Amino acid sequence: MSLDFSAVVPYLPLLLKGTVATVEASALSSLLGAALGLLLGVGLVVPLRWMRLLCWCYVYFVRGTPLLVQLFIIYFGLPSFGVDLGAFASGVLGLGLNSAAYVAEIVRAGIEAIPRGQIEACRVLGLSYCQTMRFVVLPQALRNMLPAFANEFATVLKQSSLLSSLAITELTMAGQQVRSVTFASFETFAVVALIYLALTSAIGIALRTLERRWSVS
Amino acid sequence: MEAICVRGLTKRFGSREVLRGVDLSVEEGEVVSVIGPSGSGKSTLLRCICGLEGFDEGEIRLMGRSLVELSRDRAAMASTVGMIFQSFNLFPHMSALENVALAPVRVKGMPEGRAKELAMSLLSRVGMAEQAHLRPSRLSGGQQQRVAIARALAMQPRVLLFDEPTSALDPELVGEVLEVISSLAREGITMVVVTHEMLFAREVSHRVVFVDEGRIACDGPPEQVLCNPTCERLQAFLRRLLPHFGSASGG
Repeated sequence: MSLDFSAVVPYLPLLLKGTVATVEASALSSLLGAALGLLLGVGLVVPLRWMRLLCWCYVYFVRGTPLLVQLFIIYFGLPSFGVDLGAFASGVLGLGLNSAAYVAEIVRAGIEAIPRGQIEACRVLGLSYCQTMRFVVLPQALRNMLPAFANEFATVLKQSSLLSSLAITELTMAGQQVRSVTFASFETFAVVALIYLALTSAIGIALRTLERRWSVS
Repeated sequence: MEAICVRGLTKRFGSREVLRGVDLSVEEGEVVSVIGPSGSGKSTLLRCICGLEGFDEGEIRLMGRSLVELSRDRAAMASTVGMIFQSFNLFPHMSALENVALAPVRVKGMPEGRAKELAMSLLSRVGMAEQAHLRPSRLSGGQQQRVAIARALAMQPRVLLFDEPTSALDPELVGEVLEVISSLAREGITMVVVTHEMLFAREVSHRVVFVDEGRIACDGPPEQVLCNPTCERLQAFLRRLLPHFGSASGG
């Protein structure tokens, strides 16, 4: 068979609309994931046993179950408790809660990589645990975590294709719609894949720019 | 007044007894060097005194107050005892000045401007005023340790503890750090220095304490402890450290 990309061209605006939805959902999910993940990550190292256990359980559950099942629990399951968020909000929430567990592990590893001696110096100087975290540990840890954060952002972006199962017209869903009218399956999804690649590449470039800027200061 | 009073201090790590009933008394203004083989418990003793390490039995009193009671108040504790570590432990994301000013601002609630002035004057005291705005990674080991000393001084502690302050330094950088410590000693600051620098122990300290296997084996003026050691283990320790020891004390 021969490839015919011209069949896809009239539907590029539809794919573009899907791309916008993908970027929106990923950005919101990543924001939620980063904020919650930071709290969870600190929760994994605080000197409070019950808090560590609680955060550990969350991470354990989220990392041990498929994202698609988690999305279904929120989108199809929660309405039976009277919580109906709608497709987009369910998708963002599910993706964000999922990402938080992975961010938490990144944060925990980042915190544990700070040499113990610095924390001891803080203690002798009279800084509280919270002050030690805020002024000494986290500023260094967050900087070291930047590459892992960007990686996680790219992962969220790729996983957002699962939101198509919630009937959200993001990029993958848009691709399916285009395919169903053009029947140019390979060409359509090749274009879709290239758009994803362009987006994840952009994240990589943004990260390197940010890293360069931070290392100078 | 007694600045540090340690009575019957016992510390175990699991089943291993690191300190076995240590008694140590340091008067205000006194400079005490602590020597002894590695693993003898010197560092653990210092870490117990500054509250970094708990202990199993005994009592520690600082400036007349019990450590247990004192350590409930972080600011009071930090204004009583300061610690200088072997590996400096500076905060790499802050300039030298910010390293020194952090605790006065956050622990004492000192206004930022005044804390920076204080930090600057402390940095000039250790000869680091010109490098005040550099990060630790731009400083030599000796310079980093001098900044660490200024940082410890910023809480104006009554007692300074030094845990092998020159052991991580290249030989040519040891002198500048010892010089700073000596000048602090001359100013009358109470100090306990764990060190392998025998010349420093002899010249600067008022007393030398030899720790061996978790106990204080010898305690006295430097001439007596270092030049005429009576205890056999100390003689052996000094012979290992100073190959010419036997002949020097003979002559």
